[in-house]
Amino acid sequence: MNFFINATMPDHKSGIEHAELKRLALFNKNNEPAKLVLCDWDPNGHITANQAGIQDEQIINLFDYFQETSNVTAKLIQVQDIEYGVLDAQYTDDPTNSRYLVTANNQLIARVNYKQDDTRPVKSIEWFDGFNNLYCVDHYDARGFVSLKQWYTADNKIGTETWQTPTGRVVIEAFHKQTMRGNMQKTSWRLIDRHNKCQQFDTRTALITYFLDCLNEDYWSLDYPNVFILDRSHLGDQALLQLKKPAYTVFHLHNAHTADAQDPEAPLFNNNYEFALNVIDGYDAVVSATHKQTADVRTRLQPKAQLFTIPVGVVSNKLLTAPHVPLANRQFGKMVVFARIAWEKHLDDLVRAIGIVHREIPQVTLDLYGYPDPGDNYKAQHEVEAVIAEYDLADVVTLKGYTTKIDEVQNNAMMYGLTSRMEGFNLAIMEAISHGLISFSYDVNYGPNEIVADGVNGAVVPYGDYQALAAAILQVLRDPALAEKYIEGAYQSAERYSEAAVWDAWKKLLSDAQASWATKIAAMPGHRRG
Amino acid sequence: MYYFVSENIFAYNSGTEHAQAKRVQFFNREYQQNRLDQAAYVTRDYNRFLNRDAAAIGLNNDEVLNMYDYFQGTTNVPRKKQHLRLLPQLPLDRYHIVGHGPNYSTVEDKGRVIARINVMPATVGLVNDITYYDRADNITVRENFDWRGFKSSVDYFHPDGQLAVQQFLNLAGDPVIEITHMNVNGQLLPSMYKLKNYLGHDYRFNSQEQLFLFFLNEIARQQPDVTLISDRRGLDHIVAAVQGTVHKYAYLHGIHVGNVKHPVRGKLYDAYTNVLERFGGAFTAILVSTVSQQKDLASRYPALSIKVAPDISLSPVTLNKAPVTLQKQPSHQLIYVGRLSPEKRPDQALRVLAKVVKTIPDATLVYYGYAASQDIMDNLQTLAQKLEVTDHVTFGGYVNEEKLQQAYQQAQVILQPSIAESFGMNLVEAMGGGVPAIIYDVPYGAHVLVADGVNGYIVPDGSNNTMAQKVVTLLSDDNLWSQMSTAAYEKAQAFADDKMTIMWQNVLK
Repeated sequence: MNFFINATMPDHKSGIEHAELKRLALFNKNNEPAKLVLCDWDPNGHITANQAGIQDEQIINLFDYFQETSNVTAKLIQVQDIEYGVLDAQYTDDPTNSRYLVTANNQLIARVNYKQDDTRPVKSIEWFDGFNNLYCVDHYDARGFVSLKQWYTADNKIGTETWQTPTGRVVIEAFHKQTMRGNMQKTSWRLIDRHNKCQQFDTRTALITYFLDCLNEDYWSLDYPNVFILDRSHLGDQALLQLKKPAYTVFHLHNAHTADAQDPEAPLFNNNYEFALNVIDGYDAVVSATHKQTADVRTRLQPKAQLFTIPVGVVSNKLLTAPHVPLANRQFGKMVVFARIAWEKHLDDLVRAIGIVHREIPQVTLDLYGYPDPGDNYKAQHEVEAVIAEYDLADVVTLKGYTTKIDEVQNNAMMYGLTSRMEGFNLAIMEAISHGLISFSYDVNYGPNEIVADGVNGAVVPYGDYQALAAAILQVLRDPALAEKYIEGAYQSAERYSEAAVWDAWKKLLSDAQASWATKIAAMPGHRRG
Repeated sequence: MYYFVSENIFAYNSGTEHAQAKRVQFFNREYQQNRLDQAAYVTRDYNRFLNRDAAAIGLNNDEVLNMYDYFQGTTNVPRKKQHLRLLPQLPLDRYHIVGHGPNYSTVEDKGRVIARINVMPATVGLVNDITYYDRADNITVRENFDWRGFKSSVDYFHPDGQLAVQQFLNLAGDPVIEITHMNVNGQLLPSMYKLKNYLGHDYRFNSQEQLFLFFLNEIARQQPDVTLISDRRGLDHIVAAVQGTVHKYAYLHGIHVGNVKHPVRGKLYDAYTNVLERFGGAFTAILVSTVSQQKDLASRYPALSIKVAPDISLSPVTLNKAPVTLQKQPSHQLIYVGRLSPEKRPDQALRVLAKVVKTIPDATLVYYGYAASQDIMDNLQTLAQKLEVTDHVTFGGYVNEEKLQQAYQQAQVILQPSIAESFGMNLVEAMGGGVPAIIYDVPYGAHVLVADGVNGYIVPDGSNNTMAQKVVTLLSDDNLWSQMSTAAYEKAQAFADDKMTIMWQNVLK
């Protein structure tokens, strides 16, 4: 079995979740078994994963696994469905707080918090004893059962947490206790598994390690290895080194491996990857999304682990075979960007470049599609707006907000721009070339400076040089033939990310896993004879 | 169906529990003969040793019904001896179990103690409870095992180590009762009893009493012909509130006033207020063991129905034993049977002994019964030294029925120096073993049980001199002893099942 390890599959996805979704679709299409292994407790996890197109059968959440709730038919639980344990419970709606106050004989029994929609499903219940103490909060899974109970201390803090099966049997406990220094901390976890075995863990990380061992055991075969692909390092970079039985372990880079992404020899590693890179040979393989990063990792670490370059983006066959849109059918001078308006995207630089271009080519326009990052009081958006004002681009640059009409927008536009401070891959610019957009990018690691091939499908200019970016844009806008060449180049270069190409890259990794298996089994104590 | 309602059965039981248990056995003997209906002993408290304690007091599984067991679905679980090293829940491929002598073992992970397993008292290696510790050595959770070998409850703790949540489990491990401990007027106390998924519903109660009332109501609701007898004064108000029974009775196992000289006008013990003053009307009748007490209560509470019902009944097995004949060498053994507590004046028996040994140097005294406190035991031992009879005294402790029967075979006289006794079950049983009784003249049982000079002696209250003289008289005259022993046997016949059944039938009809 191939396992993709992540925290959860939320509504708001980052690049890692998008990469996993594309990978899962690719594995499914090629009949290669795969499961999403999720380690966070998430009461909405199954709903949001289902909405992302993942069936319950392909999700193994740590909590669900032990709660025996991997496959539960969702049912609606509303305030009147709850057992309050009293006769004549009265419900008073408190819509400002999205809750009902439940009373009996003028005594507060519970506060029932609901999700603010038409059916008002119960999210959690705060229970009060006969002496007005809040003693317990029940948290409901969105599928309609109590998943987590938080038991309160006499001074109104969370004491013990228990996760339970739908029948109420406790399977996971977490304890908040005082440490020797007097701090309240989660000091212990205890698991009671379906065979009634009780085990204690100091940390959730230790629990995850055990969980991965369980999965390795569940899907164990002498004929082929389980492949664990770690997509979020903190969840398993230690665990994968400590599996009880052999498996093929894959560490997946989703971002630059150094703190300064532009400098592959920077002394500081990216914090997220520091541990794994220091024990890199403890894994069987390391995946990065670009050849450039693979080469940089190889140069710096000289690892014995196998290095694979596997794009995290996949361009669908449908898109690859769609009719090419010629320059004439596109709005001349229209540049689009699909990105959050955030500090690391550095979009104010892109607006500066457009400001320069606009002096010569008045038809140029820039549409920014994406949510503004609220961080630092929308600082990134304010910076973009300041440059718009500075260059007098109010009619040229438009903040469009988020859209899902990617095909329509991109088929109508001509160019795509990227001036980020750092990137892990950038699915958006891959989408852009697959729609025939001419791309202009800073030489930013890792992704844009490989997806954009200078002189083939656009231009890559020195990092941070918006004037050079403006010059490259102007060169194309002045030369329709060059523009036509780049449009065609874009369509062609998207082939690198075709389903077939990316699957070929994965097949290399899977073959290496299979090739390693006989040796691993042979070295395993007690299994030398198979 | 008769349910005799009580709080618990203990390792060491008082006369009330014994009377109740013997009544259950008696009813069920008669049930076999179609003379009385079936009976069971109902208990309220959580007791992981109930199966052991009930067996020790002579009750079988069908004869005991505990509230927690009922809701946990564990009323009829056979015992399995669960050795701590064979616990299925401990992954022995991950942890070491390290023994530390007979009382406990520890569970260790790479040398760190993560849990302690306490051994069930008086067993070899059977698991009593498992307490887990976090990395800061705080107690995180305790799992409590039933005598029958299954995990019965789980305790969670507040950060200061005090009990926070108790979960009582069914055999599948689902919690069926939850008790929460939170602040009640600034004190950490049980603040919530939640019954979970009982016949598909949850119920919450502010106290164990309310839960117990719900339980008794359920028992009464589910069977057509339930009769309750309240045997514990602390439960009278709950039994009084139960609905759906055919009849409710309260059996008084003690004397209702502190000053036994004024049973009609004297101040009522607080414990009797519920049954006699507040809720007396809820009972079909209030039962006592003697006509004297019945008369006192009837004149005190003319509106109530007070009836006499047997405190004990002796089975044919007990009564048909071959009588003990005096051995060539008489034992000269005196016995005291009962709790060692102030109102029973165990020290009086020592004083009697000290006087007897002056005439009969090989006289001995054996106490059977547990001491109500260590102080009492210490005082008795000090007194024995002072009276220089230490070598003549044995503290036999609390013994089971079988041992007690053997004791009666050994003894020549039973002494009863209590301040008062509502009856005297121990005397009846001793007489069933042919042991004459020498007792103080106190209410209520004395004259019912002993005919002075026939099957023993009744001496003036508090006169240990007289009591000692009577002992000497009896032990010095083998013929006299034999006559009195025979008379004791004959007296015991008056408490035979068939006679007691008639009395009960009259009370219950």
